[in-house]
Amino acid sequence: MLKLFEREILSVDEISKAQTGIDVRDLCVHLNGKLVLNNINIRIPKNKITALIGQSGCGKTTLLNSFNRMNELNRNHQCSGEVWINDRDIYNRKERISRLRTQIGMVFQRPNPFPMSIYENVCFGLRIQGETNRRKLDDSVERALKNAALWEEVRDRLFDSAMILSGGQQQRLMIARALALEPEILLLDEPTSALDPLTTLYIEELINELKKQCTLVVVTHNMQQAARVSDYAAFMHNGELIEFSDSDSLFTMPAKQQTEDYITGRYG
Amino acid sequence: MLRQFQLNYRQALSETASLLCASIMLIFLVSMVIFIAFQGSQYFVPKSAYKVSITFADAREEVFYQTSALSLENVKAQFDSRYLGQFLAEPENTPEVSVQLAEEVYQVVLDSGRVHFGQFYALSSMDEPALPLSELDNLRDTVALLQISLQEAQEGRLKDLHERIAQLDRSGVATDAPARDALMLNFNRWQAHVFELDRQIQKYRMQFKQADGDLISIALNDLDYLYQPNQLTLTDKIGFTFSKIWQFVSDKPKQASTTGGVFPAIFGTILMVILMAVAVAPFGIVSAIYLHEYAPDNRLTGLIRIGISNMAAVPSVVYGVFGLGFFVYTLGGSIDELLYSNTLPSPTFGTPGLLWASLTMGLLTLPVVIVSAEEGLKRVPTGLRAGSYALGATKFETIMRVVVPMASPGMLTGVILAIARAAGEVAPLILVGAVKFAPNLPIDGEFPFVHLERQFMHLGVFIYDGAFHNQTETQSSSLMFATCMLLLIIVFLLNISAIMFRHRLRDKYERV
Amino acid sequence: MAMRRQLQLNTHISAKFNQELENLKHSVLTMGGVIEQQLVNTLVALQEKAPSLAERVSLNDSKVDVMETQVEQECMRIIAKRNPTAGDLRLIMTVSKTATDLERIGDEIARVARLVTLNKIPDSELVFGGMLDIGNRNVAMMRATFDAFARQDDKAAILAHQQDKDIDRVYKKVLEQTAAEIQLNPGDINQWMDVLWAIRAFERIGDRCKNICEYVIYLTYGRDMNSSSMKKTVKKLLK
Repeated sequence: MLKLFEREILSVDEISKAQTGIDVRDLCVHLNGKLVLNNINIRIPKNKITALIGQSGCGKTTLLNSFNRMNELNRNHQCSGEVWINDRDIYNRKERISRLRTQIGMVFQRPNPFPMSIYENVCFGLRIQGETNRRKLDDSVERALKNAALWEEVRDRLFDSAMILSGGQQQRLMIARALALEPEILLLDEPTSALDPLTTLYIEELINELKKQCTLVVVTHNMQQAARVSDYAAFMHNGELIEFSDSDSLFTMPAKQQTEDYITGRYG
Repeated sequence: MLRQFQLNYRQALSETASLLCASIMLIFLVSMVIFIAFQGSQYFVPKSAYKVSITFADAREEVFYQTSALSLENVKAQFDSRYLGQFLAEPENTPEVSVQLAEEVYQVVLDSGRVHFGQFYALSSMDEPALPLSELDNLRDTVALLQISLQEAQEGRLKDLHERIAQLDRSGVATDAPARDALMLNFNRWQAHVFELDRQIQKYRMQFKQADGDLISIALNDLDYLYQPNQLTLTDKIGFTFSKIWQFVSDKPKQASTTGGVFPAIFGTILMVILMAVAVAPFGIVSAIYLHEYAPDNRLTGLIRIGISNMAAVPSVVYGVFGLGFFVYTLGGSIDELLYSNTLPSPTFGTPGLLWASLTMGLLTLPVVIVSAEEGLKRVPTGLRAGSYALGATKFETIMRVVVPMASPGMLTGVILAIARAAGEVAPLILVGAVKFAPNLPIDGEFPFVHLERQFMHLGVFIYDGAFHNQTETQSSSLMFATCMLLLIIVFLLNISAIMFRHRLRDKYERV
Repeated sequence: MAMRRQLQLNTHISAKFNQELENLKHSVLTMGGVIEQQLVNTLVALQEKAPSLAERVSLNDSKVDVMETQVEQECMRIIAKRNPTAGDLRLIMTVSKTATDLERIGDEIARVARLVTLNKIPDSELVFGGMLDIGNRNVAMMRATFDAFARQDDKAAILAHQQDKDIDRVYKKVLEQTAAEIQLNPGDINQWMDVLWAIRAFERIGDRCKNICEYVIYLTYGRDMNSSSMKKTVKKLLK
């Protein structure tokens, strides 16, 4: 049959175990005594961009945080179920959280550079790991900044404060900071909500480049962004996963009425 | 329409009222500073001397009088008003006062701080009864040489001999032993020599004629300096002022804290404050870190916070009493029993002293440090902590590498504010170790060099004491005001440095 | 005043979006290429009276239909995922409409091809010659149209647009000739009906090409070809 356009995206059911980056099984999370995630089952594909969409308070961020156990910063936190990454359940007893978090990078809504130089910001994680070899640090910083498409802009002022960078540069610095640890998975929690539209597009393009090296999960309030940037999209509502499929189908022919209502702006 | 008018009216009223309050406050503040600065600076500038003749009904009195008043009339008015009060019942007896500028008069200041006024009468050396005033410097040099040889004899010989004799006495040598006799002979010879030198020194004298014609004689050895207050040129006056300022910050108080300097008080204050900061800073900051970062967010923690806030409101004299009861008597008493039992019953640490004063002030300023350190910790955005955790940092690493550096402006401000508070505090210090006059500094060349058990002088206490005991004497009250000014400057500088420090660090650590 | 802009497809921040738009444009051109080949083949089949070639043209038409569906789907996908605006949106709308018109052209071609397949080619030399003439003119216009589309050249599009007048003129002439022939041989009315349909199909191809030219002008100008201001612009351009 004649094919005018190439599609490399597999449908959700076709994802094999080897292609799965994060395998979430029966995950339930209570925060402050409230059920925030209810029985989530999702297989997030490797080296693809998965977007989590849904209303505020639907549990997107909580789901994202449960991938690197950031939920546990909240003292009133309960969790059941399993999250399998690299053939191990990260909620097992022996898991070392700090090591886990070096393998799963995270970028937050607002850029939160440490009040240090650009260089120190990028190698913060490595220093925590106890890396002191100057040459290794230099190499990692350069590689991370290049991967985050920031190297050309900051190479002459690596030792200036990170605070003088613009919002978009800071957010790329945050990505570089996470990349310096060479994570397998990068979690992005509304990475562009504090940025202007053009900067947003640059970050999105960067995210698109990054899927060559890691699995990306993006939480976003911006439906257009989810549509633009993601390969797969999951729609959540009230702590439940309503629909998970490749974004081409989700944004053109959603399977569930609820999804359709949400993405067409008919909700509630 | 009316409503609109009322609104406008109310607006204008509230604006005026708030402006009024703000300006009144400002006027108070400025006038206080100006008052203190004016009164305090009186201590340093040279003042004119006047000859005042007072004619009573039955007697006549003449004095030299030094005052900062600018004209003769003002001086006369000062005296008139003084006598007006005294002779209220018999106004016909009110004395006649006449004032004239005492051009030739000398102000003579002795080493002890005593001040005499008089016209130069005579200068006498050992063999010349009357010499011109121009010989003064030569004679003073001679006296100084004599003084040096006297000191050598005293320190080098007499002391040594005296010790050796005392040693012999202690070892039970008979009073008529030949060795002791020889020493005794020697000792007596040197003592005679010293007496002779002293007699010679006392021969060098100066005589001044006072206002009423009486002569006073002053040994040159006792003389500190003399000058003619009404003959000073402008350069002289400036030089005089600076030398007075230098004396103020480097000399010790004289004449029962009416003149001289306040160096021991500055030294004691600074040392006490440093010791306090060393004690309170780590303690307060670590407590704040625990309270903010580790303590569970429950009712007990809330109670502790309220307790700390209330600690800041406790009257400072209560801390003084606590320091006296706990630190001095209980803690100090125990230390004495354990370590200094051989000197008991005379106490070493069981008496008010520098260490206890520092600790008491530390306790007093602890809430300031804790509250502002916690304030600083609170200002660290949660996003930064999350960022640190997300990079694999543990809680301890996050606190050490991210939170504490960012909270350091708040912490340092707290410490500086605590220092400023301790520098100005009086009541508790009187109870736990600050005294109005301490002969020895807490740090000197005597082993173990730092004497934390010693009592010390403190600027605040010095002012307090001066205000109480010297209200009548203009000279001494101006010393008190000068000290006030110094204290004000120190506290202002500390506060300003706290603010600047905070700004510098905030620029560094917080986003622009 | 209408502003004329050359669309820059390769300047988006998102490299993927660039690629998608480029692919979309190419897909339409590919489709156009197929259609053009269909038309040429039909004309050859007509001229040489080769039913087998005509049969192949008829069968190939389903391929064009599939292509149209794919292009439409891709347009929808891009609109949903990229939220295109301004020039990008006009391009996608143009592509979508062009694909529809191309599909219709394909249908018209198939209709002519069926005439050859059913062996109902008119015996009259005059009508047959007229049909070939109109068909050749169609090929020329179609090439000019696709060229204008590929280059987004508004002047070329207007020139191609003008060619439709010639086609209409020839069409009228052929129609008159056919009417005369029918009057001569009224017994073969069924065959003549098919012939008429085929002639009309040729004319319709011209109209569809005209539509595509209008889309190209809409794409570059953002104005409808039929608006009065546009007509003035066209006159100015043609001077």
